[in-house]
Amino acid sequence: MTMSAIRGSRRLLAGAAGTAALVLVLTACGGGSGDGGSGDGGGSAESLVIGTTDKITSLDPAGSYDNGSFAVMNQIYPFLLNTPYGSPDVEPDIAESAEFTSPTEYTVKLKPGLKWANGNDLTSSDVKFTFDRQLAIADENGPSSLLYNLDSVETPDDTTVVFKLKSENDQIFPQILSSPVGPIVDEDVFSADAVTPDQEIVDGKAFAGQYSITSYKANELISYEAYEGYQGILGEAKTPKIAAKYFTDASNLKLEVQDGSVDVAFRSLSPTDIEDLRGDDAVQVVDGPGGEIRYITFNFNTQPYGEKQPDADPKKATAVRQAVADLIDRQALADQVYKGTYTPLYSFVPDGLTGATEPLKEMYGDGQGGPDADKAKKTLEDAGVTTPVELNLQYSNDHYGPSSGDEYALIKDQLEESGLFKVNLQTTEWVQYSKDRTADVYPAYQLGWFPDYSDADNYLTPFFLKENFLGNHYVNQDVEDMILEQAVTADEAKRTELLGQIQEAEAKDLSTVPYLQGAQVAVTGADVTGAKDTLDASFKFRYAALAKG
Amino acid sequence: MRFLLIIPTVFILVTTVFVLMRATGDPITAALGGKLPPDQLAELIHAAGYDRPIVVQYWEYLTGIFSGDFGTTISDNRPVTEVLTTYGTATLELAFYAVLVALVLGVPFGMVSGYFRDRLPDAVLRILAILAYATPVFFAGLILKLVFSVWLGWFPVAGRVSTDGEIAMQLAGADSGFMLVDAFKTGDPEVVLDVLSHAVLPAVALGLLTAGVFLRLVRTNMIGTLGTGYIDAARSRGVKESRLVRKHAWRPALIPIITVAGMQVAMLLVGAVLTETTFEWRGLGFQLSEYLQARDFVAVQGIVVLMAVVVAVTNFLVDVLAALIDPRVRY
Repeated sequence: MTMSAIRGSRRLLAGAAGTAALVLVLTACGGGSGDGGSGDGGGSAESLVIGTTDKITSLDPAGSYDNGSFAVMNQIYPFLLNTPYGSPDVEPDIAESAEFTSPTEYTVKLKPGLKWANGNDLTSSDVKFTFDRQLAIADENGPSSLLYNLDSVETPDDTTVVFKLKSENDQIFPQILSSPVGPIVDEDVFSADAVTPDQEIVDGKAFAGQYSITSYKANELISYEAYEGYQGILGEAKTPKIAAKYFTDASNLKLEVQDGSVDVAFRSLSPTDIEDLRGDDAVQVVDGPGGEIRYITFNFNTQPYGEKQPDADPKKATAVRQAVADLIDRQALADQVYKGTYTPLYSFVPDGLTGATEPLKEMYGDGQGGPDADKAKKTLEDAGVTTPVELNLQYSNDHYGPSSGDEYALIKDQLEESGLFKVNLQTTEWVQYSKDRTADVYPAYQLGWFPDYSDADNYLTPFFLKENFLGNHYVNQDVEDMILEQAVTADEAKRTELLGQIQEAEAKDLSTVPYLQGAQVAVTGADVTGAKDTLDASFKFRYAALAKG
Repeated sequence: MRFLLIIPTVFILVTTVFVLMRATGDPITAALGGKLPPDQLAELIHAAGYDRPIVVQYWEYLTGIFSGDFGTTISDNRPVTEVLTTYGTATLELAFYAVLVALVLGVPFGMVSGYFRDRLPDAVLRILAILAYATPVFFAGLILKLVFSVWLGWFPVAGRVSTDGEIAMQLAGADSGFMLVDAFKTGDPEVVLDVLSHAVLPAVALGLLTAGVFLRLVRTNMIGTLGTGYIDAARSRGVKESRLVRKHAWRPALIPIITVAGMQVAMLLVGAVLTETTFEWRGLGFQLSEYLQARDFVAVQGIVVLMAVVVAVTNFLVDVLAALIDPRVRY
């Protein structure tokens, strides 16, 4: 190679290297700005950035019935009754008073001078419009079914609303008014007979909750501004401006809360990410009671010794369910699979709700919440059950999160370790699963539940009445009578006592075996306060409680 | 003639997508089965017309496409056309950046590799090229994110712009869908840098794939060109080596890139699904992944059809371009 060729080749090499260097320099110039890596992102004391992996279906309360949409509604719409911070029980919110004025009439008196953010008056007419349209639209994705006991709404004057109910003394109705069917909407903005598009709601400024939306990009970014006209029990927002950023990948949310780009991450980091963040000084992990529960459902016809089995024997069938309750190690499931993001559940009503007790803790296992193989063995022997019991156990691989496989592998181990069960573990995709479980295909199977409202009734009525959503052929007339009675008992102490009795009776029958309760977990920057205040048994995460600095 | 071939190509693509989607049942059952009682489900299926003969549905689907109506998504009740226009711009922007990265890295390094044939720089670059196109896009994305976002903190973890930047754009009423254009509309250089910094890692992750192909291609053509008589003649006339490469050898070596670039569009779109998901780059690939998880086959069908059409049209344009550049190419 000549000198000229050598010089040329050096130039060529240098040129290519220069190109690469230029790319790096240009890209590095871009780095460090924005919210990435620099760690100086997030909000100021005047503003907060909240990150979530939730999804919004619709801002119209008639068109959605999911956590993501309801989370937004809790910030922007007023409720007649609502749960104050730290309590699962409802109180008048934008209402001045709310009470039964006759067994079938629930009268709500609004506070005077209420306004929407667009300047419209918020009157009883809006309230009537809200509930009339819910019933008229009855969208398949909406929560109108919760108004099962509402007959009609009357408005004697601008501040008085009378709900005419179908059945008497419905003690659940006040809770219903704080549920996803309860957000009050502006009759001048919303359609009376169709779901209103999100942008029309935002453009119409139809807000009267603690915050108004100032800009909206569905499932990407929502900007909120505190609404000064809110006069409810939750008080003034601590932070004037909030930006809610929607992630699809929980690991990105984790990284952004770590680097300070996001101030608060709520729903849903993975258990391993949360465990990892607990050791990070830059953030705080705040836990609160959760409303979600996990349980095994038994089909009373097809379970071992079930009614439609050749060897049907109710006593033996009960013993099988009780032995399962004896053997499940709830703490191990909570720790090993969910890293503390779920906690052991020893009842049908989760801890934190009024009336919740823990009958399974004493009745099964070692009496202190742990498993006990000897007790399970004795239960089966006393009933004359031949061991090992063959149990076909089903779980859904796509409906209750990616940890279901680990969850049920551990349950299988726990049941088989005693030598008392031989578990045939099976999994089915959710669409087929839903059909099969009500068609008596599964003898025992996984289910989960997230409440419609924060009342013990919501964990009993749907499950243990004769006509229940489980469709597992469970019938206990005493339990049925008590459930119906608690729903119309106005005396709080008496109702709480009844709730305890129902849980006690159900713990003996074990139509389901509850084992885990989901915790609410928020991860915040080290200087963010207020998360603990809003992580309560109302299961409503209010941005207005949060502050920075 | 070549243009007319697009019509049957697109027709076959659209039909194939339709048949494949319907082979697994109707979209309503796929999206909402198990979530609604059977009677409500049947009502929705009837209302959407999915209980009619498949030929009738197919005809309606075809006529809908020609009038720009791809139907309405089931999971979030949006017109599919709106989804395509909203997120298509993001994918287009990412593809543009990725091609830029591929050209900036692939062409010069391909020239170097060709020039230093079978010597150390060539060996190193060939290994890097193989690594670039053999590494799965999502893996490259995760590694880039780990190193440059998590460890070094140079670039943002995900998204197309920071929260503050996006709010600034919303306040400025900038909503073209092209982030860089919108960033310029705000008049704030910080926002422009913010947008660029968000684009770097996704563009590199996706661009590396094509850069590897370009590098190999340029190298091969460079070697071929450097061995031709007119290069030897130029060299014998004392033309400097750098000028030889810059002026004489590289242009002919670039022609095949145009053809390959057309074929790479399909690869880029496939890669975009993974890159956009890794970096939460909310484009068509990202949405495709979301709709697949929601079993929203109406949306999936619309996006796949659009992607197929883009590939077909791009290939046609590339053929035209190749014919314009190289007179030997004729259709």
